[in-house]
Amino acid sequence: MAEPKNAPAADPRLPAFEQRIGRGEKIEPGDWMPEEYRQQLIRMISQHAHSEVVGMLPEGAWITRAPSLRRKLVLLAKVQDEAGHGQYLYHAAETLGISREEMLEALLAGKAKYSSVFNYPTLNWADIGIIGWFVDGAAILNQTMLARCSYGPYSRAMIRISAEESFHHKQGKEQVILYARGTALQRRMVQEAVERWWWPTLMMFGPHDQASPNTPTLVRWGIKTKTNDELRQVFVNQTVPEIHALGLRLPDPELRFESSVGNWIHGPIDWDEFWRVVKGDGPCNAERLATRRAAHEQGQWVREALLAYSRRSGGAMAA
Amino acid sequence: MSDTQWPRYQVFHQARPDRPHLNAGSVHAPDPELALLNARDVFVRRPPCVSLWVVQAADITGLTAEELAAGQWPERPAEPGRAEEPYLVFIKREARGTHEHCGEVQGSSPQQALQRAVREVKVSPALVYWVCPKRSVLASEPDQGPSLFGPAQDKPYRDQAFYHTDSLMRDIRRNDGQEPEGS
Repeated sequence: MAEPKNAPAADPRLPAFEQRIGRGEKIEPGDWMPEEYRQQLIRMISQHAHSEVVGMLPEGAWITRAPSLRRKLVLLAKVQDEAGHGQYLYHAAETLGISREEMLEALLAGKAKYSSVFNYPTLNWADIGIIGWFVDGAAILNQTMLARCSYGPYSRAMIRISAEESFHHKQGKEQVILYARGTALQRRMVQEAVERWWWPTLMMFGPHDQASPNTPTLVRWGIKTKTNDELRQVFVNQTVPEIHALGLRLPDPELRFESSVGNWIHGPIDWDEFWRVVKGDGPCNAERLATRRAAHEQGQWVREALLAYSRRSGGAMAA
Repeated sequence: MSDTQWPRYQVFHQARPDRPHLNAGSVHAPDPELALLNARDVFVRRPPCVSLWVVQAADITGLTAEELAAGQWPERPAEPGRAEEPYLVFIKREARGTHEHCGEVQGSSPQQALQRAVREVKVSPALVYWVCPKRSVLASEPDQGPSLFGPAQDKPYRDQAFYHTDSLMRDIRRNDGQEPEGS
């Protein structure tokens, strides 16, 4: 299946491939695909899988400190979902010819990217509500788009994930609503959480379209159907009126409603901060990777025990 | 990190007793028993599920409609001394869909099983065939149902419908927002 690099346009199979995408057909693992399509998908799906896995950490830290048993059960279930979503996505990436081990190794070695938003700290319980509303809400917009993408395994994983994520989104929003209408202390906590997470959430959608070199190819091959800026605008339009209705303030003095286009227009995003965090210098990058590595190392004995059991009982790994 | 490069198992998930098993995805595990447990954790965090099957991916032989049209049968000859045995047949029936269990055929090799599947299992359109020897499948036992699938039943808070944020927000916007009550 290896194709000559940088020469996809010369391949006689390309027109038929693009026609299939034009007809809305799904590309499946055994099908011919341009090498760049494969590489772009491996890049996107593995980053997405890593984001689910690392995404467990900011919230996992609060499971033991949940304010009630109900909240604790909900947070446990949510974090467990993220682990499962990582598995769905590693599986989808594996169908493109990369192994799960290569992806995990890249993550643990600090070579893989994941969503920059997970490199910010969760300082108090209100952050858990805001992450559900903002971060999962932003993720759902992206995932709903990807559920229509041209690659079958990715699309199917996204359909399942989007359905499960709407629970994540709503449990967070419920908490924010309660805090916003709660005691003075709760209102202050949730206001501060809004201020902490607003900009990192807007950055989650990625660079502006003119600074996003992959987008045209991804749109042409039906991997993405909306650009970063289009999705970001949908999120802003959805979120701003609701935040205002709750009596909360967004940390953007330039935020305004542009009635001629029907959009809420946000002020400039600090892209220097975004790139700093993406390149490894965010508040928690080192901590997140150290936690992942420790979890992997501390799980070594479990993997060894499973292997020993398998060998003794004549399983697939028996010598 | 080759220590976790365990074999891949395809997972088939049955939502209701009167529905076929559908391919849900795959898991890695050192043996079928653990594959079944991993499959439960990854694919059955929510109902409904009444049965799971796991099959090592290497035990599955596939044939696409294009290969069939071109007469390109997979090279998987019979193992020496292997008698005729039952094979399960899975077929992907639509481009957006996934493989579903469509029947059973007898065969002395994966290739023969595929030939018989194409001839005997009447499904149209059939985009991709998969066959695997029935003995390579590990199925959840009916008496494992409560322990494997029960926990997903009593966690209603995993369902988005458990939260009434839409109506809460509507009420707040109606009562506190730009439209005063009674206007």
